[in-house]
Amino acid sequence: MAKLRAQPSGGDQPDRWEAQLRKGAVEMAALASLWRGRLYGLEIIRFLENHSALALAEGTIYPILNRLKAEGLLTSEWVEAEAGHPRKYYSLTEAGRERLGLMAQAWVGFSRGLSRLLEPVLYPTDQDLSAAIPELKHEENPQ
Amino acid sequence: MTAEFEIDNYLDALRLHLGPLTIAEREEIVREIEAHVRDAAEQSGASLGTVVARLGPAKSLASQYRDGLLIGKASRSISPLVLLRGALRLATKGASGILVFFLAVFGYALGGGLVLTALVKPILPANTGMWFHDRQFASFGVQFPPPESHMHEVLGWWYIPLALTAGSLTLLFTTWAIRRSLRVSRRWQARL
Repeated sequence: MAKLRAQPSGGDQPDRWEAQLRKGAVEMAALASLWRGRLYGLEIIRFLENHSALALAEGTIYPILNRLKAEGLLTSEWVEAEAGHPRKYYSLTEAGRERLGLMAQAWVGFSRGLSRLLEPVLYPTDQDLSAAIPELKHEENPQ
Repeated sequence: MTAEFEIDNYLDALRLHLGPLTIAEREEIVREIEAHVRDAAEQSGASLGTVVARLGPAKSLASQYRDGLLIGKASRSISPLVLLRGALRLATKGASGILVFFLAVFGYALGGGLVLTALVKPILPANTGMWFHDRQFASFGVQFPPPESHMHEVLGWWYIPLALTAGSLTLLFTTWAIRRSLRVSRRWQARL
């Protein structure tokens, strides 16, 4: 099995595409961070940084949490902390757990299908390589 | 400028730009952002000013809150006014938002217009209908003065149920399409 080394040819913007992909997952990731219990905003940011590749700009998570709460997927409570000021902790509601379950199923099904599709791209066999680059065939079998 | 003065300034600006929200919603947001700044500074060792700078301009943060709440509310509403406000907000975000807004205006105008003409038909029967000229479609709706005699009105009283059905379906489809666009758009609002 050979590794396919491809250089980006320009034109497309992979960084922008990746940013759009991440944006689409932020809502689900914020809900998932609360699956095991309540967290406050900064803990959610750190949790996402440590457990996924989602590094959010610091102000981004709060409007999202606010909206998810308005939709009834999250609940919040102010808790006095040793830090000297109260912190706003978020928890999943029953509706939030159900929504996250549906999102997780859809995500896993979708990503499994795409992973199968992308397998030959990431781990190409020699046959894949010669099919992708017809010149190789000519070099291997000169007439 | 002291750190405390800097954070107070930022929170005042945030409060100001959160204007359309209720006082309780505004104060809850400001309180949470203040707690974030103090926690982040304490845990990372950064200055309050640095953490405030990482939050971005207060106007932009407030706009994310307002957009999220307005678009979220609109995406669950069936009120044309609320939906149009949501679509208008979306129009400030880019070309696809502008397209959604214009399609929304067009859909509501067409659907509402059709329903209105159906209601006008019993009052102005000669002025309302669908007209053909030489077997070709000429016009439909309400016309002043009524079309000339060489134009043939083809639907008669059937105009009422047909215009009501077409108008209602157009209104329903427009409502569904705006709500769907608003829901999809919410996922792309995050700043990474």
